Amino acid sequence: MKTRQTKRKSVADIHEMSTPDAMIDMHGVVKKFKNAAGEFTVLKGIDLTINRGEFVSIVGKSGSGKSTLLNMITGIDHPTEGRVVIGGTDIYTNVTESQRSKWRGRNLGIVFQFFQLLPMLTLLENVMLSMDYADMYDFDERPARAMEMLKLVGLEKFANKLPALVSTGQQQLAAIARALACDPPLLVADEPTGNLDTKSANTIIDLFENLARSGKTVLMVTHDPSLTSRTTRNIIIADGELINETIAKALPWLRHRHMMEFTKLAEEWVYEPKATIISRDEHVEYFFMIRKGEVEVVLQDRKQNETVISRLKPGEFFGDIELMRGGKSIANVRAAADAPVELLTIKREDFKRVMDQSPLTAEAVGKIVQQRLDEHRAADSRANRPFFSLFRRKQS
Amino acid sequence: MKPRWRKVLHDLIDNIGRTLLVVFSIAVGVFSIGVIAGAYQIISNDMSVSYSANNPSNIEFRMTNFDENVLTSIHNQRGVKDAEGRRVFNMRVRVPGTEKWTTLDMVAFESFEKNAINLLTPIEGAVEPGKRQVLLEKGALDHLDVGVGGLLEFQLPDGSTKTMPVAGIVQDTAAGAADFLASPFGYITMDTLQYMGQPKLYNRVYITVADDGDDILHIREVGGVVKDKLEKSGNVILRTRFSLTHEHPLASTVNAILGILLALGILIVFLSSSLIANTLNALLNQHLRHIGVIKLVGGQRKQVFRMYITLIMAFGVIALAIAVPFGGIGAYALAEFIAVKLNFNLLGYRIVPMAFFVQIAVGLFVPLVAGLAPVINGSRITVLRALSGDLAEEKVQIKDGEKRLSWFDWMQVKVTHLLALRGIHIPRPFVISLRNTFRRKSRLMLTLFTLTMGGAIFISVFNVRVTLHDYINQIGKYFRADVTLDFDQPYRLREIENAVMSVDGVTHVEGWQFLSGELLDDHENVIENITLLSPPADSTLVQPILIEGRWMRPDDVRKMAVSEGLRKTYPGLKAGDYIKMRVDGRDEIWQVIGLFKFVDQEGLLGYTPFEYVSEMNNLANRSFSYRVVTESHERAYQDAKAEELDKYLRDKGFKVRVAQAGSASLDTAVESLDILVVFLLIMAILTAIVGSMGLAGTMGMNVLERTREIGITRAIGADDRARIRTVIAEGVVIGLISFALAIVLSVPFTYGLSYIVSSAVFQTPIAVVFTYLGYAIWLGLVLALSTVASILPARNAARLTIREVLAYE
Repeated sequence: MKTRQTKRKSVADIHEMSTPDAMIDMHGVVKKFKNAAGEFTVLKGIDLTINRGEFVSIVGKSGSGKSTLLNMITGIDHPTEGRVVIGGTDIYTNVTESQRSKWRGRNLGIVFQFFQLLPMLTLLENVMLSMDYADMYDFDERPARAMEMLKLVGLEKFANKLPALVSTGQQQLAAIARALACDPPLLVADEPTGNLDTKSANTIIDLFENLARSGKTVLMVTHDPSLTSRTTRNIIIADGELINETIAKALPWLRHRHMMEFTKLAEEWVYEPKATIISRDEHVEYFFMIRKGEVEVVLQDRKQNETVISRLKPGEFFGDIELMRGGKSIANVRAAADAPVELLTIKREDFKRVMDQSPLTAEAVGKIVQQRLDEHRAADSRANRPFFSLFRRKQS
Repeated sequence: MKPRWRKVLHDLIDNIGRTLLVVFSIAVGVFSIGVIAGAYQIISNDMSVSYSANNPSNIEFRMTNFDENVLTSIHNQRGVKDAEGRRVFNMRVRVPGTEKWTTLDMVAFESFEKNAINLLTPIEGAVEPGKRQVLLEKGALDHLDVGVGGLLEFQLPDGSTKTMPVAGIVQDTAAGAADFLASPFGYITMDTLQYMGQPKLYNRVYITVADDGDDILHIREVGGVVKDKLEKSGNVILRTRFSLTHEHPLASTVNAILGILLALGILIVFLSSSLIANTLNALLNQHLRHIGVIKLVGGQRKQVFRMYITLIMAFGVIALAIAVPFGGIGAYALAEFIAVKLNFNLLGYRIVPMAFFVQIAVGLFVPLVAGLAPVINGSRITVLRALSGDLAEEKVQIKDGEKRLSWFDWMQVKVTHLLALRGIHIPRPFVISLRNTFRRKSRLMLTLFTLTMGGAIFISVFNVRVTLHDYINQIGKYFRADVTLDFDQPYRLREIENAVMSVDGVTHVEGWQFLSGELLDDHENVIENITLLSPPADSTLVQPILIEGRWMRPDDVRKMAVSEGLRKTYPGLKAGDYIKMRVDGRDEIWQVIGLFKFVDQEGLLGYTPFEYVSEMNNLANRSFSYRVVTESHERAYQDAKAEELDKYLRDKGFKVRVAQAGSASLDTAVESLDILVVFLLIMAILTAIVGSMGLAGTMGMNVLERTREIGITRAIGADDRARIRTVIAEGVVIGLISFALAIVLSVPFTYGLSYIVSSAVFQTPIAVVFTYLGYAIWLGLVLALSTVASILPARNAARLTIREVLAYE
C-alpha cells in the first residue's frame, strides 16, 4: 500500500529545533563586516545544532566564513543578528565581552592553529593560567590538576619548560592540555593540526576522538580531508552558508558551489514506513538522497514474491541510474518498515545540469551506478532479462 | 605629494597617541631648557640693569651722628663722585586699630628731588613725602595692610605714638639688595625727624665713586681714603659696605642657583632623549613590515632613512611649536618670580635669542641623535626579515644543537620553580607581569633610567631641603633665646631680670652686648666687618658647632671665637692666630680662640665674653640687650610672650625698642630657603613627569606589542579586570624597581646637590641630613604614577576584542 509522502519546505531553511542534548545551537546567525569598500555579509543566517559528545569538523575554503563561524561559537566575536546558545547559555544576550571571557574560561576550551601559548610562562604555568582566570579549582590544587592534564597529553617531563624549548607538536599538545584544564564540556579547535607534521597531527586527532568518546563535544575547523573522515559529522560552509550535510555526504565530489546550489534547490519529502517511493516501470524525475531513515530496494518476481536487494542508509542516494542512463525503474523503492524516511530530492533537469558541469561527480556517480547494476544482476533471478531501470519515480 | 611623503604624513596623524607621546617627550626637554636658559639670560641681564639704573652706592658707611658739614667734606674727597647723607633708624609701626606691630627701617632724606644715589622708583601716589608724611617701600605692604592716603601709627622710644599718612609707594631696589632678610623701609624728609623724636642728623652716607664703579679695588681704595679722613676728624664709622655699580649683590648667589637649575634642565633633556629613543625604537619596530614592503617595491635604504628622519624632524618641529612659546612664557614667569623676591624690575617680556636657539637645537638635534640608531637599524633590515615576521622578541639560543634560554630567563623560570617546590605558588597572572617586565630589556633600562633619575632627584631635593633646614636649625643654636629684648638705654641686669622673671612662662634671662669691629689688612685698610656678640661666657643660649679651637671663657680678653667665613679673608687661619681689628676707632690685636660653623650674611660673626665687653663698654652689669628663655619654644608662644613682655616692660617705664620672637629671623631664613627648594622641586617634578611619561610610553608600547598575548588570555578566560591588573602590575613592578634604584642613587645625588646648593647659598659645604619623607612621598608617587601610566594602556588592552588581536597573527 502506498503512503503519500509529506512535502517539506526547502532544506536551506530547515533547522532542527534545539534539543536538551544540544551543546551548540545557532539560530539565524548573520555576521556583517564594514570596511572602506562597504558592508559585506560573512555569515548569511546560519542555523546549526551540534549535540553533546559529537566530534564535528567544519570545512570550507579560505574566506568561506568558517573562522567567523567559530568566532561566533567561541564568543570571540559577536553576531550582527541571531542567537548563539552554548550549553544552554545565550552567550550574546545581555553579556559583556568581559563576562563572556569569564564564561569562556569555564565552559570552553580553545585550541588555536598557532598554539598561542604565552611565551613567558612554562607549559605547566600556561595550563594553570586558565584555571587562575576562570577561578576553577582551589589555588593549591591547580598545580596538580595542570600536571594531570600534561600527563594526559604526555608532556609531564616538559612541564617546567618554556614553550620556545619544546617542539611545535608538543606546544599544541600543551595548548590542548590548557584547553582541558577547566574541564570544559566543549572543545573548539581552529586548524589544530595545520602547523604540525603527520605524526603529531595523528596524536592530536586520536586525543580528540578519545575526548569525544568520553562525552566532550569537539568542534574542529580543518582543511585536511583526511581528518574529516575521522569526525562523526562534517559541516561544510561556503560563502557564509552551511551546505546541507546530507548533500555533502551523498555527493562529496561536488564543488562547494554546486553543493550549495543543491542545498537551495532540494526539497525534503517524508515517507511513512513501508510507503513506496518509486514503483517499477515508473519514469524517475528526481534524484533522491536519504537524510534520515532507510529505504529498501525491492524486486518482485512473477508470483509477486519480493526480494530486498539493497538497503540504503542516510547519506546514500538513489534515482541516479534512471537519471544518468534514462528509462524506467525496474525495481520498487520503499521506506523501511521500522521508521519513516526523510529524503532530499533534486529535480532531474537540475541534477543533469549540475552533472554536466561537474564531470568528476558524474564519473563517480557513474561508477556507483555501474556497481549497483552489477549487484542487481547478481541478485535478480531474472538477470538475463533486458534491464531497463532499477528505480521508478514516485509521483508526489 | 609623493606616496612616501604621504606615508610620513599618515604616520604622523594615524596614531595620535603615539605622536603626542613623542612630541611631549621632546617638548618637556625643550620647555625645561627654554625656561631655565631664558630665565638665566633675563635675570642676569635685567638684575644688573635694574640695579644699576637706580645708581646704587659704591660705598656705604654706617656712622654715628654727623651733620651737613661732614657730608660736604666727603663730597669733596678725591675719587668721590657723589655722596648723600641719610638718617636710618628703626621704628615700630602699625595700622591704627590693629594689634600687630611691624618694625620699619625709616630712612630720612634731605631732598627727594635731589636724590641721586639709591634712587627710589615711584609706584603710586606722591614722589616725595611732605612734612609728617611717609613713603612706603612696596615690600612693606606685605606686612602692613595700608594704601596711599592711609594712616600709620608709629611708636616712639618713649612709648608715645605718632600718626602719619602714607603719601606714596616707592620701590628701592638698592637699599635692601644685599640682604633679603632686611626689614621693610619707610621714607620721610629730614623735617619729619623731630616729629619722630629723632635728631636732625645723618647716620649713614652713600657714596658713588668718580671712576670705575665696577672695580672693587678702586672702590675700596676710595672708601679707605674717605674713612681715614672721617675718622681723623673724629667721626666714628660703625660699618662699611662696598658694592659694584653693575652687579647686584646677590647676583652670584642667584646665578649659582640658576646654574643648578640649568644642570637639572640639561638632565631633563637627557632623560627625555632616552624617552624619545624608546618611543622611536618601538615605532620603527612596528614599521619594520612597512619598511619591508617599501623595499620590496623598490625603495632604497637611503629613501627609507630619509623618510624616517623626516618623520623625526616633524616630531621635533611640532614639539618646538608647543614648547618654545610656553618655554618663553615660563622663562619670564620664573624671572619675574625671582625679581619680585629680590626686589628688582624686569625690562619686559621678550624672546631671548640664546634660549630660542638652544630650544631649536635641542628640539631638533636631540630627537635626531636619539632616533638615529633605530632609524639606521630599521632602514638596514632585509626584506626577507621584515616580511617573514622573524621579529620575535624571544630569543632562544641554540647550543650544541639544543635550544637554550638566556641565563636571565632561565633564572626567572628557575626561581619560580624553586618557590613552587617549597609550596609557594605565585599566581600566574602576576608571573606574567613579572616576566613581561624583563622582556624588552633595553626598553626597560631606558625607562628605569628616566624614572630612577626622576626619583633620585625628587628624593634628593627633599633631603636637601631637610639638610638646609637642619643647618638653619644648627644656626639657630647661636640664637636660642625665645624672646629678644632691645632697649633704647642700658639697664642693670638685676633690674631687668627681676622685671622679666615676674612674667609668667619666663624661665631665664641674660644680658648680651655687642661690639662692631673692622678687620684690617697689613696696611690698616678695612677688609671686612665683624660683629662680635657677647653673651655671658657660660651662656647656654649659644651652642656653637666648633670646627677648631675652643669656645670663650669668662677671663678671655681680646679673644674671640669667629665664624669659619673668616678663612676667606685670612686663608689658612687657625685657632690661636692673631688678627688686627679696629674696634670703636681703636686698632687692636685680637686672638682667634676658635672657629665655628655659621652662615655669614652681612659681615662676619664672632663671640667674645660679656664679662670683657661690658667692661670695655663701661657697661658693667648693665646692658641694652637681653635674651629671654620661656617655657615653650614654639613660635606662637614666643610671639605672645614678646608682645606681653613689650607691654609689661613699657608699662613699667622701660624704654623697649624691640621685643621680638627669637625664631623670627630664622623663620624668615627658612622661608627664603624654601623658595629655592620649591625651584628644585619643580625641576624634580618635571623629571618625574618625564619619567612617568617614559613609563606610560613603555607600557603603551608593551601592550601594543603584546596584543596577541592579550587576545590569548581573553580567549582562555581573562576578564577586563584580570587584564587591567596584569598590565598595571607590570607598571607597578617597574615603578618599584626604579624606586629601589632611586634609593641607592639618591645618596650621591643628595650629597652632590647639597654640596652645590650650600656652596652657593652659604658658601660652605654643610652636613647632609636624610629624611624618610622624600622616600615615602616618592614611593607613593611612583606607585601612583606607574598605576596611572599603566591605566590607559591597560584599558586599551581590555578593550581589544579577541578577533582584533588574533587578526595580528
